[in-house]
Amino acid sequence: MAKRLLDFRDRTAVAGVGYTPFTKDSGVSTLTLACRAVLSALDDAGLGPGDVDGLATHRVGDSAPPTLVGPALGIRDLSWHLDQFGGGSVSHAVVGQAALAVAAGVAETVVCYRAINARSEFRMGGTGRALPASPEVQYQAPYGLFAPPQQYAMYARAHMLKYGTTAEHFGRQAVTQRANAVKNPRALMRAPITLDDYLASRWIAEPFRLLDCCLETDGACALVVTTAERARDLRRPPVLVSAAAWGGGESHLSGGPADPTTTAAAALAPRLYGQAGLGPREVDVAQIYDCFTYSVIVQLEDYGFCPKGEGGPYVASGATALDGELPVNTHGGFLSEGYVHGMNHVAEAVSQLRGDAGDRQVPGAEVALSTAQPGYVLPATSALILRKD
Amino acid sequence: MRPVFQVTTDRDSAPWWERTGRGEFAVQRCDACGRARLPARAFCPACRTERWHWEAAEPEGTVESWIVNHQAFGAGGGEPYVVVMVRPAAVPDCLLHGGWRAAREPVGGERVRGVFTPGAGGLTLVDWEPAGE
Repeated sequence: MAKRLLDFRDRTAVAGVGYTPFTKDSGVSTLTLACRAVLSALDDAGLGPGDVDGLATHRVGDSAPPTLVGPALGIRDLSWHLDQFGGGSVSHAVVGQAALAVAAGVAETVVCYRAINARSEFRMGGTGRALPASPEVQYQAPYGLFAPPQQYAMYARAHMLKYGTTAEHFGRQAVTQRANAVKNPRALMRAPITLDDYLASRWIAEPFRLLDCCLETDGACALVVTTAERARDLRRPPVLVSAAAWGGGESHLSGGPADPTTTAAAALAPRLYGQAGLGPREVDVAQIYDCFTYSVIVQLEDYGFCPKGEGGPYVASGATALDGELPVNTHGGFLSEGYVHGMNHVAEAVSQLRGDAGDRQVPGAEVALSTAQPGYVLPATSALILRKD
Repeated sequence: MRPVFQVTTDRDSAPWWERTGRGEFAVQRCDACGRARLPARAFCPACRTERWHWEAAEPEGTVESWIVNHQAFGAGGGEPYVVVMVRPAAVPDCLLHGGWRAAREPVGGERVRGVFTPGAGGLTLVDWEPAGE
């Protein structure tokens, strides 16, 4: 079914990005982190809080909402705001919805942010925190299955069984991303690793080892979204939002796809590429949601970079390295830069398209794909295609 | 051993758990289109009607995947344990999780049979063992 958002393509732009440092213990509240990242992104764009008329975030009951961040920064009149429930699945949806609001004229300058103390306060890995209050939990938690590494390991094994994907394939992506993080001053993990280091890392939940898993991180990241016209008058080169797409996901309820080895990205991708008017061959650099190594491999297939089932060999061929045909997670990703639940993927895509990614810059990058959690665990996903102006 | 978690059932699921307590593996059968569904909820996803009845099914399925957990994510979860993902024969478009009741690891695609096991909070859980061993 062909769907087109009328006149949406390239009408909005990311005009600024901002970060706090990524740490294991920020020592401050998520409200403080959010304010720091928002101000940093505005400064990057050459704007101030007085220019903001929209704020958007996503959270799972673990962070400061726009209704707190706005007043904390003296922003009194928000003409649009979004406080979306959800984790990584909706990270890119937040940016897409901000772009839609701007394109529709509801707001002119929206700051999207994600602020988390995911190591020192609310651990995404689940260690020590209460179970989520969701009906699905009763069918998993009594069996000792409730943390994302466990849930994802289950899907990863299904892919290994069906397609012959191996630990070495997972490991190659982990090693590749660490090599990128070595070139990223912002990254939490900057010591190079080898495939042997990967294979020697301790088991978390077989088939996952420690180095299959992303970093629980304290930190915040923010992006300024405005009209393309306005962005062209601001401090930084604009990065155009060419497409934003939303999708469903895998559920354990009957009536859904019940295929643990194909994600909702497979259905979303044609909508996304169609909106942008291009295909996977035109993508120069990709930031692919890497809560775990496996999520990169399955999405490489579902976003059409290689045939179904060949994500592992594609990674092993070196294609996803910085000098490969599709550099992936050039900042080191969640595995090695830090895990701000998705927003730092969009920020890195912006950096690559502005050409300011330093030692890890992909030469001549003009089109970037950035993706959210592909719809496991929470049956929703989202993605963006960004383009150099 | 797996950690002990007490979970809350809900208004859709309570009768299903009541049946596992009696050693019954129940599915919902849609009165309008005849489709079986799991886990419990009001609407048939195929024909969107609310009328249905419980039907006892054989607790059988095939292994779709499994994990061997090592990290202690919850209290009492220090020793490795196996959790399987099973595709039930009675509702093949559902994927259920359960404990693994055998000394060896599962094999992909192998046939398994449900084992009713007392869990926390008075719930009777459905674990899985190799069929015919």
